[in-house]
Amino acid sequence: MEFIAFAIALAVAYQALKGYRLSKERTLLYLNLSFMLLGAGLLIDSLANLVVLLTRFHRAFLFLSPLGYTMNFVAQLLAYALLVFAYVEQTRNVDIQIAMAVAPVLFFEHNAVTELILIFLLVYISAQTAINYSMNKSRNALLVFGAFASLAVSHLFFLIFTLVPVFFAFAHIAQLFGFLLLLAMLFRVNQTS
Amino acid sequence: MMASEQSPNAKPPAKYRSQLRIYVDIMLVIQRENNEAKPTRILYGANLSHDRLVKYLEELRQLGVIHESGTEDKVYSLTQKGIEFMNNFRRVESFANAFGFRI
Repeated sequence: MEFIAFAIALAVAYQALKGYRLSKERTLLYLNLSFMLLGAGLLIDSLANLVVLLTRFHRAFLFLSPLGYTMNFVAQLLAYALLVFAYVEQTRNVDIQIAMAVAPVLFFEHNAVTELILIFLLVYISAQTAINYSMNKSRNALLVFGAFASLAVSHLFFLIFTLVPVFFAFAHIAQLFGFLLLLAMLFRVNQTS
Repeated sequence: MMASEQSPNAKPPAKYRSQLRIYVDIMLVIQRENNEAKPTRILYGANLSHDRLVKYLEELRQLGVIHESGTEDKVYSLTQKGIEFMNNFRRVESFANAFGFRI
């Protein structure tokens, strides 16, 4: 599932990069970096799990699984923080230096508090994309809103999973669904002529 | 088509237009006029002064995205490169708008 999400994240990043090259719009560069980080995190996590799986859970490689998860977590944290920054900058024109000063706060170890921060960031992004949809009523905006809402739900499930194990599967399904919505948006955008 | 994707009030009022936006506005007017637009049409359609219109048309011509024909009554049309640029721009704009970013 994470390999599919990784491929979709890269496709979104590539589209954002194409947009940045054409328009030199900084927010598209942030979008590119954000999805590159998301993709990198997903790739590292899925490769780490693959190695653990291929070595049949050999003790020497077991450390890779939590390491991959933590790296994925940090990458997502940075990616969503970057997206929030892009939205904030667009609406309020915040100074980059202020945002960079806040950035170290994001480096926590993986725990429930940081997971909650991730959910908070995703809820903020979802709210921004919902506002965007309410303003332009386009299907693409709806797909993007749906994608970030699904990703927010997936992280909520990851949080609940520590109490109810079955939510681990739900979290991955919600995450994949979110990325598939982004893929649908990409297809629609590329049909535009 | 992008036009069906967005309502007319989708774009918030901008304080100023970027050079790219002015280029696109000019090329949109030319496309709207069945790819044969006279300077007066472009002037009103793209909301530009005469001096700025002349400057931007020359820049677009040098970029190879528009073609100038006629001697007294000049007519402007998009070249193949210009049509491809507009198609790419629409995709990028549609993508950026989906996230709520304006270009």
